[in-house]
Amino acid sequence: MFSKKLLPLFFAVLLVLSGCAGFKTGDSKSADSGDKVVIDFWSFWGSEIRRPVIDKIVEDFNKSQDKIEVKHTFVPWGDIWTKELAAIAAKNPPDVVINDINATALRGQKNQAMNLSQFLEKDDISDRFYEELWNATLYEGDSYGIPFNTDTRILFYNKTAFKEAGLDPEKPPATWEELWEYAEKLDVKNGDTYDRIGFYPLWGVNSDVWMLNSDGKNFFDEDGAPIIDSEANRETLEWVLDWHKKYGANTINSYKSQIDSQQGNPFFNGKLAMYVNTPTFYTQIRDYAPDLDFGVAMLPEREPGSGNTSWGGGFVAEIPQGSKHPEEAWEFIKHLTDVEAQEYWAVKNFDNVANIKAAENAAKNSEMPDKDKVVYQMAIDNMENTLLTPVPVHAPDFMNLVNPELDSILLGKKSIEQGLKDAQQSLEKLTEKSK
Amino acid sequence: MEEVEVAAKKRDEERVASAHAYFDNIHTKRKLLSLVNFILLAAGSLLILSPIWWMISTSLKSMAEVMTYPPTFYPREWNWDNYIKTWKAAPFDTYAINTITITMLVVIGSVLVNSFIAYGFAKVPFKGRGILFAIVLSTMMIPGFVTLIPQYVLFSKLQWINTYFPLVVPAFFGSAFFIFLLRQFYMTIPNELIEAAKIEGASHFRIWWTIGLPLTKPALATVAIFSFNGAWNDFLGPLLYLNDESLYTLQLGLQVFKGEMNTQWNYLMAGSLLVLLPVIILFFFFQKYFIQGINLQSGGK
Repeated sequence: MFSKKLLPLFFAVLLVLSGCAGFKTGDSKSADSGDKVVIDFWSFWGSEIRRPVIDKIVEDFNKSQDKIEVKHTFVPWGDIWTKELAAIAAKNPPDVVINDINATALRGQKNQAMNLSQFLEKDDISDRFYEELWNATLYEGDSYGIPFNTDTRILFYNKTAFKEAGLDPEKPPATWEELWEYAEKLDVKNGDTYDRIGFYPLWGVNSDVWMLNSDGKNFFDEDGAPIIDSEANRETLEWVLDWHKKYGANTINSYKSQIDSQQGNPFFNGKLAMYVNTPTFYTQIRDYAPDLDFGVAMLPEREPGSGNTSWGGGFVAEIPQGSKHPEEAWEFIKHLTDVEAQEYWAVKNFDNVANIKAAENAAKNSEMPDKDKVVYQMAIDNMENTLLTPVPVHAPDFMNLVNPELDSILLGKKSIEQGLKDAQQSLEKLTEKSK
Repeated sequence: MEEVEVAAKKRDEERVASAHAYFDNIHTKRKLLSLVNFILLAAGSLLILSPIWWMISTSLKSMAEVMTYPPTFYPREWNWDNYIKTWKAAPFDTYAINTITITMLVVIGSVLVNSFIAYGFAKVPFKGRGILFAIVLSTMMIPGFVTLIPQYVLFSKLQWINTYFPLVVPAFFGSAFFIFLLRQFYMTIPNELIEAAKIEGASHFRIWWTIGLPLTKPALATVAIFSFNGAWNDFLGPLLYLNDESLYTLQLGLQVFKGEMNTQWNYLMAGSLLVLLPVIILFFFFQKYFIQGINLQSGGK
């Protein structure tokens, strides 16, 4: 009785197993189509906007030659690197992966990404890219990833609000002092609440961006020694605290939760007159607040001459350690970061690209509407001011030490002097330990 | 005489009236109490259901409306076609079939195998049973993330990456929690029953199949539901083991709406609701077992 009932079940299961593609074992990569080498390319670009663009770039490459076939796979944002790590550990990684530019050196040090100098010796493509981006990919002088796209931080301001407040809409604030004056004029108070807020520095970016902006210096100097406890940083935090006092915790928190939710932004409907974000924020204005009359500008300087330093990041294309077809992967990366593919990416996605020529072409591309061009040109111009803050290999998790100190300063639990001193000390300890 | 009668009648009437008043009072009190109860419960359910409403309302909005400030409570325009667009944004048909395949196999495996193992631990006396059971239970203490990479390497050596084997096969080797749950249930079945069957000449296999399985139905339903939920909602497993997009599951598919900058909230919510639907339906059909399962979990049985 038992076997009569159970056997058909087992057969049914077996049938399902054999019929399903999911139950065919073996290395999928060895299943080459004809004489072509199939290489696996993982990205997190699966949205209806980005997917077709990257697929077209891959298709162009596949058509351009008959030796390599790139198979593009979408892997969810953020989790893609968990998967990559597991695959590297199992010695079965893909051949090209898009990864965070700021931790490229770290992956080089940890032997997760392949040293690309062997390919660069033959064809040096380093001059395609912004120097700041290229340098971020280096570990001990060798590159471990090729820059793909990037970003920067610029100031968006509402021109209509400027006119209402009696300000010249073609003259955005140039210094921190002006920023404050403008905000005072742009504020519209209604009892205890605000109908319009002029500006608050910590919406869209964190205080570290302003500390970078204040003197163009990162938390570490060229030799990797921590320099967070500086005069400029102290002044920056004082300035931030002034803003905090001006609007009060309640107003700031309610706006911040709205901005962080990524569902709607007070800048769209004029409740916020000035806002710092990446140039791609423009696509949201274009799509969700098409009637908004706005302008873009570089970040103001702390004082005349201190520089409009901004902060950026981006992504690289890298070959994971253990890839079976690094030569072919390199060919594909060259295509991915060449002018044609990069310009196409830039125009279709309105995204900053790492290739200088492609970025400049994109700003003049006839497919881009005039308004897009204005913002895009600003993004390119701002690249000169943009610094990256690559994670130092000797202090990988330094932000976990700095952030609590910055938080307690902003919450008023610690004085600025004390907080920065403590941050400096823990960073010194961290660098000491890993040396 | 008459006077007495009248007085008695009057007294009776008064008594009845006071009784009426008393019962009326109790009645209204009860009514009031149930009304208060109702209001409290309704408020509580509204509170708990409000995120669901938020999902539904967001799923029907246009992206421009999702982005308006202040947010709208219900959609100004009801975009029912969001659901169609969502389903078409990625090959969700394939993802659904894949998810169903994996889930079915996991449920079948979990129900049969765990029950079989639990039967052994509960009803078959053998040397070292206690220690073995303790070892099985101790595997519950190991956090999943610790075994993640070794497991991945193991499956990779078996050439099982990019197949459903790593997602399905472990279900056929028992899970400590389910074994424990079913063993506790088996303990409530009298040994006499098993022995009687033994005397009749039945093997342990047959006893498990013909007596054990039917008698443990409520516990099996719990295992089925939990393993269904586990497999249906599993994200990390498919993420790590599947490389071909044609093998992807629904949970991975939903991620196309999330990007590094923007999230397509309306599609994400529509997709999430569609994926959530089978779980909700399952809950209503098996509500009884769900609650029993909670009792089982807390060791009430």
